[in-house]
Amino acid sequence: MMERWLLIGRIALRNLRRQLRRSLLTASAMVLGVGLLMFVRALEGGAHLMYVDTATRMGTGHVSMEHPDYMGSQDLADRIAARDLALLLEAVATSVPPGELVALFPQVNVGGLAQSATSSVPVRISGVDPALESGVSFFAQQVVEGRYLEPGDRLEAVVGIGVAERLRLELGSRLVLMAAGAQGDLESQLVLVTGIFRTGIPEVDRGVVHLPLPTAREWLELGGDVTSVSVILASDQRTGSVAEAVRGRLTEEGVAGDRLAVRPWWEAMPDLYAGLRADAVQTYIMLLVLLAIVALAVVNSILMAVLNRTREFGVLRALGLNRRAVGAMVLVEGVFLTLASGLVGMLLGLALSMGVFGDGVDISFIFGGELAFAGSVMEPVIQPAVLAGDVVAILTIVIAIGILATLYPAWHATRIEPAEAMKTDE
Amino acid sequence: MSDETQRPHAPAVETRALWKTFGQGETAVHAVHDVSLTIGQGEFVALCGPSGSGKTTLVNLIGGLTDPTRGEVRVDGRDVGAMSEPERAQLRLERIGFVFQAYNLLPVLTAMENAEFPLMLRGVPKDERRKAVSALFREIGLEGLEDRRPGALSGGQQQRVAVARAVLGAPALVLADEPTANLDTQASDALLGIMELLNQERRVTFIFCTHDPRVMRRARRIIRLVDGHVERDAEKESGSLPDWVLEPVGAG
Ligand SMILES: Nc1ncnc2c1ncn2[C@@H]1O[C@H](COP(=O)(O)OP(=O)(O)OP(=O)(O)O)[C@@H](O)[C@H]1O
Ligand SMILES: [Mg+2]
Repeated sequence: MMERWLLIGRIALRNLRRQLRRSLLTASAMVLGVGLLMFVRALEGGAHLMYVDTATRMGTGHVSMEHPDYMGSQDLADRIAARDLALLLEAVATSVPPGELVALFPQVNVGGLAQSATSSVPVRISGVDPALESGVSFFAQQVVEGRYLEPGDRLEAVVGIGVAERLRLELGSRLVLMAAGAQGDLESQLVLVTGIFRTGIPEVDRGVVHLPLPTAREWLELGGDVTSVSVILASDQRTGSVAEAVRGRLTEEGVAGDRLAVRPWWEAMPDLYAGLRADAVQTYIMLLVLLAIVALAVVNSILMAVLNRTREFGVLRALGLNRRAVGAMVLVEGVFLTLASGLVGMLLGLALSMGVFGDGVDISFIFGGELAFAGSVMEPVIQPAVLAGDVVAILTIVIAIGILATLYPAWHATRIEPAEAMKTDE
Repeated sequence: MSDETQRPHAPAVETRALWKTFGQGETAVHAVHDVSLTIGQGEFVALCGPSGSGKTTLVNLIGGLTDPTRGEVRVDGRDVGAMSEPERAQLRLERIGFVFQAYNLLPVLTAMENAEFPLMLRGVPKDERRKAVSALFREIGLEGLEDRRPGALSGGQQQRVAVARAVLGAPALVLADEPTANLDTQASDALLGIMELLNQERRVTFIFCTHDPRVMRRARRIIRLVDGHVERDAEKESGSLPDWVLEPVGAG
């Protein structure tokens, strides 16, 4: 039995070699199509990693913890109490593997008004701890004038360039921040502009102000409370499991659920997540259309190979191969051709992503300035990233094409009537 | 597997009221027209008759390569019409060898591989296969050509490989549809000699379709078809050629 299938496989492979030119032409279509899919997805994956990296470093973190209602209400009443904060910090420390934790920082985030001598704008005000965020803060890297917050600052504040322009602020300008405090009363705080940042994301540049966390707490009468705690991890791959572990710890402590929500970034920033997903889906659809055309070429090529060998299939049947075995022979031929060329295509994609363009692809010539996307931004040099999920998806696509493209020709081969086949010359 | 219908000394081939009709109504062609035949084990039979008389259709029916419109075919006592497609394939693999007029061989296999193909399908071990093929190749003058692809063999050599392939599995029956039509006199004689030898040594039943008087001369039974039915069926001495075989239709 084994012998029979080996024989069928051998004949199939020799037939591919016999039609070398046809096989190579079909294979090169597959190689190019799959290689392109792989490379384009690696570019997109790299871009997405950058978006995620930026977005997490803008304050949300890979995992963020807030009062469960805060995301909807943005009301200081829905905050993390000081005693829960202590439990939470400990839970994170014990459940994140060592080396994975890059930063862990509490923040106070509140909506309010920024007012200068001339006018006022609505802003999102963040009280941050520059010591804890040092090295990871996205804003610290985007300062275009002055400096970012430093440990020991009290009344210093950093504003987006749009805020500065609309309020006519310069370094050293005074600025009054107003927001509802913990008691529900309107509170105001005088700060001095010490730095201006420019992120490239319009809504951020036009509406964000940072000031030191202790100042924010005092101003809003929060005591030791905060609104959110963010965890930055060494790699996004652990986000899900870390969120799960922290949630587990906090559930044991009895604080998760009612008082605390632990969210991976894709839950904390659903817009960004949906945007990235839609982007990837769009790319796959586009490239699947391309691969469908390649698949048609494969169907055509295998079908021609079957039609050209009608007589041979008649001989095989006369020799005692049944329909199934004849179909299997064609399947082996087609699946081998597509699988082998698909794998070569994947290698080509890998080589492009990690070798030829391994140092990054500068796409600024297409877009010019910054690339803002769903509240995040990326640099114009994309570092291609080959993601495990894409490799699996592309491999699945290759196998599916191999089988689908060969099914019809194989079915056709099983329908060949030996008596009729023997009448043809082919 | 014991098949009820299999009899130990069943004839090699039996057909009962066999019909094959192509098309319908006024354009219908009765390619095989009520043919009932019994061909015993070890016979050496030539099917002759004018072009279009149904010879090819009849051997295709016997080999299960096409379905009868009506009637019954038994090979080795087993009803071919009652078999499923895989069973029929198995029957061909084990009991029937085919030799066609031309392009019999698989172009991607060597002469050796072509000849041993049915044995391979049947899972015969390599040593045994090679021994059997080598012995037969020596006997029929194919020695030294084992590793050639069909494209590098002459027509006569290809036909000899095809005959080797047909008889190697010790079939009950070899069906040969004009095996000598593409060969010159010398090659035909060589091929026929081989088939006669195998018929005598191995008791393989041979049925030929042929227009070739040399083939008919060697046959020991001649069946003449006209318009799909048996017009004459006679045993004869090997070497003789009755005059009726070549007569024009209707003159017999
Ligand atoms: N697939 C088919 N469809 C329609 N008619 C067919 C088909 N196959 C054979 N026939 C007809 O059946 C008849 C018998 O054909 P067959 O091929 O059996 O003749 P033959 O005796 O082998 O002829 P030849 O000596 O030329 O090979 C012919 O009239 C032929 O036209
Ligand atoms: Mg014929």
